[in-house]
Formats: sequence, C-alpha cells, structure tokens
Amino acid sequence: MTGDRINIKIKPLGILDLLAFKNLVPGRKKRIQKAPATVIGSLQPVNALACKLHPAVQHLIVGEVREETGDVRTYRLLPHKEKGTEQLAYFRPGQYLSFTFEVEGATVTRPYSISSSPQEALAGYYEITVKRSDGGFISNYIWNNWTVGSEVEAGGPEGQFYYDNLRDRRHIVGIAGGSGITPFRSMAKSILEGDLDISLTLFYGSNRKDEIIFKDDLAALQAASGGRIKVVHVLAEEKVEGFEHGFITAGLLKKYVDLDSCSIFICGPQAMYEHLDSELAKLEMRRKFIRKEVFGEIKNVERLSGYPAEAAGKNFKMLVHMGKRTVEIDAAAGESLLVALERAGLCPPSVCRSGSCGVCRSLLIKGDVFIPADVDGRRQADKKFGYIHPCVTFPLGNLEIVVPRRKVR
Amino acid sequence: MSKGGFSDSYDAVVVGAGNGGLVAAATLAAKGCKTLLLEQHNLPGGFASSFVRGRFEFEPSLHEVSDFGPPHDKGNVRILLEDKIGIDTEWFPVPEAYRLIIPHEKGGRLDATMPFGEEEYLAKMEEYVPGSRESVYKFIRLCEEVVDAFTYLGQSRGNPDKKVLTSKYGNFLKTASYSLQDVLDALKMPYRAQKIITAYWCYLGVGVKDLSFSIFAAMFYRYITKQAFIPRYRSHEFTTALDMKIRELGGDILYNTRVEKILVEDGRVVGVETSHGDRIKTNHVIANTSPHTVYSRLIHPRTAVLEIAWKTCNARKVGFSAFVVYLGLDKSPQELGLNEYSYFIYSTPDTNDIYDAFHRLERPIGQATVCLNNAVPDCSPEGTSIVYLTTLFSGDAWKNVSPAEYFKLKNRIAEEMIDEFEKVVNVNLRDSIEEIEVATPATFARYTGAFNGGIYGYEPVVWDSVLPRMMTMNEEKYIKGLEFAGGFAFRCHGYSSSLQSGETAALLTYKDIMEGK
Repeated sequence: MTGDRINIKIKPLGILDLLAFKNLVPGRKKRIQKAPATVIGSLQPVNALACKLHPAVQHLIVGEVREETGDVRTYRLLPHKEKGTEQLAYFRPGQYLSFTFEVEGATVTRPYSISSSPQEALAGYYEITVKRSDGGFISNYIWNNWTVGSEVEAGGPEGQFYYDNLRDRRHIVGIAGGSGITPFRSMAKSILEGDLDISLTLFYGSNRKDEIIFKDDLAALQAASGGRIKVVHVLAEEKVEGFEHGFITAGLLKKYVDLDSCSIFICGPQAMYEHLDSELAKLEMRRKFIRKEVFGEIKNVERLSGYPAEAAGKNFKMLVHMGKRTVEIDAAAGESLLVALERAGLCPPSVCRSGSCGVCRSLLIKGDVFIPADVDGRRQADKKFGYIHPCVTFPLGNLEIVVPRRKVR
Repeated sequence: MSKGGFSDSYDAVVVGAGNGGLVAAATLAAKGCKTLLLEQHNLPGGFASSFVRGRFEFEPSLHEVSDFGPPHDKGNVRILLEDKIGIDTEWFPVPEAYRLIIPHEKGGRLDATMPFGEEEYLAKMEEYVPGSRESVYKFIRLCEEVVDAFTYLGQSRGNPDKKVLTSKYGNFLKTASYSLQDVLDALKMPYRAQKIITAYWCYLGVGVKDLSFSIFAAMFYRYITKQAFIPRYRSHEFTTALDMKIRELGGDILYNTRVEKILVEDGRVVGVETSHGDRIKTNHVIANTSPHTVYSRLIHPRTAVLEIAWKTCNARKVGFSAFVVYLGLDKSPQELGLNEYSYFIYSTPDTNDIYDAFHRLERPIGQATVCLNNAVPDCSPEGTSIVYLTTLFSGDAWKNVSPAEYFKLKNRIAEEMIDEFEKVVNVNLRDSIEEIEVATPATFARYTGAFNGGIYGYEPVVWDSVLPRMMTMNEEKYIKGLEFAGGFAFRCHGYSSSLQSGETAALLTYKDIMEGK
C-alpha cells in the first residue's frame, strides 16, 4: 500500500456500506433459497446444435449404387434411422466425410469428399464416388462389399475446401484430376440450387474420354446454369475433337479465364499437385487465391526431397502405449505410422490422413522420424514438445510412441 | 514419466484438461499424489488451445494473461507456472493496455490508447480527460486495496482477523457489495474517464451497473501494474507444456476419454466411469467444468444431487459464450495500418445496453479485437498478420439456429464485425484475407462440451462475485470429495483466474487427502 489513505463512502454514511457488506452472505443465501429446484436438462440448445452440425458418428445405409465409368461408382447413402441417425448433417460443398471400416481385423478410416449437395443432404442422402484402383485397399473393399442395404459408419462433415464469401473471389476456377472432381460436383449443384452465389470454371483432367467421371452430369449442370458453370475437359492420353489435350497448364487456364478475377481451387492426386505447383508459380498469384484440398496418404515417401536414403526399404519396431496396452509392432519405412498402427489392429484415431486435422496427434517418446515439410500441419508447440501426426510421419528407426485411444462414439 | 497407461485407482481424478484442470493435475502430481487427468478432446487446454489454417496458427480465445508480470516483477500467474510448476514456455509482453474506441460517445468520438503502468496510465488519462487525475488516482488506490485484501484473505486461509480487515481493508469491505458504477459515481469520476477506465468490462461479461466492483478492481489493478503477456506459440504452448510436466511428475493423462459418471455413494465421491467403460476408483475429483454440467450430466446416481445444489445452480447465471472471427491476412500490420495489439470497440456507449444486446442474435455492437503480431512479431510468416475479432453472445441467442442457416449466418455476423472494425479504425482487412475461420457458441460447445457453449463462468454480479463465493465456499460444497476448478470456480473466469483456481482446488484436495477426509 502507498501511504495515501482514502476513505470511500458509497452511501452518504460509511456505516451503511459496512451493513451492506454484512448482508452479502445472508443476501446470497436468500437468493439461493428462493431459486427453483428445477432439475437442469442434460442437453442444452447450443450443445444440441453442435451435435447436429458435427455429429460424432453418422450411421448410414447404402441406398443405391451407380456405375459412373468402368472403375468408378457412386454410392448413395441414407440415414440409418434404426441405428439412431435421424438426419444427415448439413455441410459446405467441398467438405468430406471420414468413413470407418472393419477390414481383416483392423479398424481403418478413409476420407471421401461428398459429391452430392447440401440440399440433397437435407432431402436425406449423401453421395460419395469411389474409384477402384490397383492396390487400393479400401476402394477395393468398398467395391467388393458395399451393396444396397450395406451398413456404413461415417463421422461428421470435415475439411476446409469450400468457398468463403469473405475470402474468395466470386469466380472460382476449379482444377480437378480424376476422382478429384467429387467436391466440384457438390459445388456445381449448389450453384444451381441457390446455395452458392458464384460462377465456376472447371478444368477437369482425365486420362481418356471414357474415364471422365460425371460427364453427362457436368454437361447438364453447365447447360442449366445460365453461363455460371463452364467445364473444360482436358485429356492426358488421347486427342479428341472438342477436348483439350495434355496437362492443365498456366497457359491453358489463361486461354479460358481472366485469372485476376478468380480464386483457384484444386483437388486431385498427389502427382497433379506436383505438376501444378510449378505451373501455378508462373502465374505469381497471391496465395490467398489458390486453395488446395488435402490429398490423403503420401505415396513414395522415399523419393521425396530430404528423405534420408539409408532408411529406405527398411523395417523397424515401434513400441506403442495406448490406454492400458503396450505392444511392439512392425513399422515399415515406406508407410506412415498410422498405417502401421492400423495394420497391427490397434484402432488408432484418424480423420484427414493428410497431416492437417490433428486427430491422430500422438506423443513421440523415442526415435527418429521423417515428416514431409509441406504436409506437416502440426502446431508449433507440438513440434517443440515432440507431438506428431502419425498419418504423415514415417519411421527412420525404432520408435516409442503414446497414441490416444480412439473416441468412443 | 507416465507413458499413457493408467491404473484402476487414484488419489485424485481431474475431469477436464482446461486451464484449471491442467494446473490442478500438475499441482497434485508435484505433491506426490497419484493423479489421473481425463479429457474428452484429443488436446489439452479446452479454450486455451490453437488451430492451424494454411500458414497461420490461431489462438482460439486468449487475448492476454493478466497478473503475469515481467520476470523481474512476477505476478501470481508467472509464479504459479514458472516457479511452482516449472513449465517451459516463452512469454511476450503485450505492448499497451488497450485502445478503446466509442465512435458515438456523448460529446463526440472517444478514441483512447491506454498504456500499462500506474503513472503512465494516470498521465495519459489526464491528457484525454483533463481534471480526471484525482478521481482516477483514488480509483487505482481503491483497486490496490482490493488486491491487497484478497491477498490477505488468501493467506489467512479462510480465517481472516476481523480487526485487521476493518482497520486495514475498510474500503474493500465498504465497496464489496457495490457495482463498478456505484463506485465510479461515488468518486465523482468525469464521465469520459469512466468510459475509458471501464473498457475491460467485457472480459468479465457484465454491464458496469451490475458488475461487482471488487472483481473488476482486482483485474484492472493487475493489468495496469503487472502488464499482460501471451505465449509465443499460442495457448497450446503452455497447455502442452503443462501436459508434459504432468507426465514428467508421474501423472497419467488420457485424451479422447470423456467422463460419463462421477460415482457418488453416501454423499461422497467414490470413483468415475469413462466413455471407454473404464471404472476408476477415487475419493477425490476435481471438476474443470461447470456445476451445471456436473450435476445435470455426471453425478451418478442423479439422486445424489441435493435440492439445494439445483437451487444454487438456478440462482446463478451462466456467463456468455463467444463469437470469434479469425483472420490470416497477407499483409503486415504496418501495411494494414494496425498499430495496436488490443482494440475495444463499443458501438453504443452504455455497457449495460451492450450486455443486453449480446442476448440477441443481431449485429454485434461490441468487439474486442487483437492483432497478434503487435505482441509476437513472428507469430505468422513475414508480410502477414493474424487478427481476431471477438464478440459475446449468450448461448440462448443461438438456440433456434438451424444447421441449414448456420454457415450463412456466421459469415454475415463476421462480415458485420469486420465492417465495423474497418470503419471505426479506418483500415481495410477484407482485401487481404488469406485464411478465415469463424467460431460460434456451437463451435465452443463442439470442442469443449461447455454448458450451452459458454466460455465464461457464472456472472460475477455483486452477490455472486469472488468475495461472496469465497465466504460460502464450504457450505456450498454439496458432495464430499468434489472440488471445482476453472472459470466456474470461486475466482470467476478469465485465464489468470482459471489457472489459479486449479492450484486452489488441488491444495484443498491435497489437504483432504492428507487428513483422510
């Protein structure tokens, strides 16, 4: 205290202030006694809204299967009401769902963009579109096992690959490769349904004309859009009249659109990103106008720059602490720690499988790892304290990690 | 070091790894208690966290930690985190107390940038409001006495000497049952000085006519004399540092593990049950959540919740939730023209009017906006900045929002806040937005499970402020072995209060454990 004494009076007489003080506790007790003894409900309105927007689990049932091309199918998914999913969560066109599969004793997740629109979710269905690929563990599983009536489990809508009116220009240039077309179909439908007030020029790269997914759908959407949707097909492996040929380049984009008035959205396979990075660099656009969807599992990590050659092809041991269990499992140099955990039947948590969502966040206690810099979506403090995202982390030796149990939903 | 395993019984179980829960678990583990910390989310911190979008890492809720102090003049929070617990975190001082703008104030626009430091604050105030010095000086002396009195009450461990209280802390007693406005009026402080000095009211979330003077006084005095600080790598840095410290001390932590039941027998805690079906024996639980949540969802059997416990909940009012617009901008603060760290913008002069408006789903008329780079220059890449604009809403303002209108609604409100900021500060943010995220009450509910999305604890109105809570702490303990930490505990909300509440809850629990209670 400094030496200055002040003597405050709120009421004209200081003594009344002291009386007021003495009344503080009795006054509190009176208020409490007078309050109703009503039992408080366990689900408040805002918590209920949060559950509707971000359900921990959505139980779905396959309602329809459509062939799109020879190796692509669209699955229409309906809410499985008997299992408790009354309504499908609303979403933003461009978002994905993370599906959970029980395959050969392992619990595995995969993210799939929603290829249908939010209005269709309100009407009672989602669609996802799956390309069967050689060695595609889950895509083959879906192809072989999902038929009308199959029960499917997904989480809530996830991801940040969507148009934002406060950030993006209203003319979107979409660049899609192969099955990367799925989020753009959702966006295109939303334009027609009035949910997205944008125009979309879509550059869609396919290998061959007969591999174009949603070819008729996209044509119909374009025709009905009054000029708001335009699709430019680019075929890499064949020359066809009326189709662009080759890869999607900076020059090709400029041929069709004024890039000074666009935001670019990209979704496709890893190889396409590698190609586009150098093409888009030529345009010298601000980063804010180029948005990329995450592309999932890293392939061929051993050939990425910075990867220590001596680790390639090796097999390591990983000591895993998970809840009450401690087990030693195999971890191959070329596979992410997440895949190693899944192979061992440990049921680790995961959603994006691309390094960004952080759901698989685990503590590395011992050992060296490789994390490709461009997919390292960790928080800075996690880097400081040794937390990792196993979905984009690769072993360079024997490891010891603490992995959280997957949330019970 | 704990490696993620856990046992079947503990001296104490902490429910929730928010600020209070983390400190409680660290404090108990340091005392040698066998401690388990359970958290439903996959991260520590609750609201004290971070998230990444593109090349930006955002701070979800913290504006600054008060009562922290520089290394040579430590405040209670720095002493707690660095000396008592010993975590490894780098802290940066916030450059100024705040810039307050009230565009339509009586007598014209009010735009005042206030410094830290008592003398600096007084001098600046005199510059803005000539003739204010005497009343502002008296106000600060009163605030000092409040802080000293709380310190004395803390040291006396609930048994203060009444003579000491009346002789040394008479003003504290005489103001304890009044609102902030009552005291300002008694001091005859000039109107515009009142407006400047009350700028921090929104951190407590009650209009000045109802806000307890004591709690505001303690907060204000600590801000002015001990400055304010923020962690280098957002709140996730100190919460992860606390996580590491708890493990190092042998405490167990389980993420993705929601407590479903706090088991009660004969009026005392006997264990907890989790979402994974774990049944863990313990006689001591520290709940880092609201009594509303504990009584309505966790206590098992529900009949163990006494009628008086429901009455106590229903007599109190759960504080506000928040709405935050996070911007990653591709220009530097200099290029944008953002010179301050902290901006309070009140579109209407009367704080009670703003308080009322926060209960309605309409254009926000009060915001607290931060430009993080002005305290942590390298918080984002060179040539970029992080700005977040925060307003408050009652959870119930959002109760009729449907998912189909939700995304458009949140962008509309975000746009209104950005517009207001741009207009009042005369800058352009819109053209530089590289990343944007918007959190609503539903977002806070999603990640923390907070009661109706609230980010504050019970409203610290006069009758439910720190002092009356302190004086009734023992008699309002309705279940043996259960303590509360966090914003709903007796210290009220805010980072410094919730962090310190964890220590108090841990020490009370430790005492009970030692005494076999």
